[in-house]
Amino acid sequence: MQKKLNEMAYGEEGVVLKIEEDLRQKIAGVGIRIGKKLKMMTKEPLKGPVVVMVDEAKTSLGLSVADKIIMEV
Amino acid sequence: MRVLLMGHPNVGKSVFFNRLTGANIVESNYPGTTVDYTKGYMRQFGEDIEVIDVPGTFSLNPKDKAEEVAVKMLHDNKDAKIICVVDASKIERGLYLLLEIIEEGFPVVVALNMWDAATDKNIQIDAPKLEQILGVPVVPTVGISGEGISAVVSKLKDITPANAGAIVERMGGV
Repeated sequence: MQKKLNEMAYGEEGVVLKIEEDLRQKIAGVGIRIGKKLKMMTKEPLKGPVVVMVDEAKTSLGLSVADKIIMEV
Repeated sequence: MRVLLMGHPNVGKSVFFNRLTGANIVESNYPGTTVDYTKGYMRQFGEDIEVIDVPGTFSLNPKDKAEEVAVKMLHDNKDAKIICVVDASKIERGLYLLLEIIEEGFPVVVALNMWDAATDKNIQIDAPKLEQILGVPVVPTVGISGEGISAVVSKLKDITPANAGAIVERMGGV
């Protein structure tokens, strides 16, 4: 099933399927790329950032960024 | 000679800086602790070498103030040599910044820091193989105990810019 990264539930894991073109470079530095396995760790309230596990590292992403990443879960 | 310490936030650049210069700047277990740069000196190869502790950055496309400082520092020091500090336990994400720095033509030594933490997590890295692929020295280090730091320093003397195109070729193309 496909869903946006910000729609993933706590603890849910998925593989990155699509990233909006203009965003790819921007998040490559934190290790997020197509084919990468991510795990949802935290969603902060009040439209705050989401925290995902990339490899061994937690990385926070703004909601507007997470909205542009399509996951296969 | 001028040396810049570059790497992601929270990989141990400041610990490295203190080890190299004998300074005592604040280290803490929070990313983003260094938001401005710190400068110090070490005596090596018969000269005083300027060492600059650059704020952590994930890439050379800055996303915030600290990253802007980092990228500006790099671009303002075209003749500098770089120690790229990579968290060995999170090596893949660190390679992106490293490749960007190599691509811009800077001579680089790679410090695979937190080697002990990587070993604890059962992460095995073939440093000689990585060195062969990248064409730059790759040294396993443990900043807090000082392991590998002198090896990094000794490599600084003779490093030259690596060829980014040749790395792509050794990896079998894009």
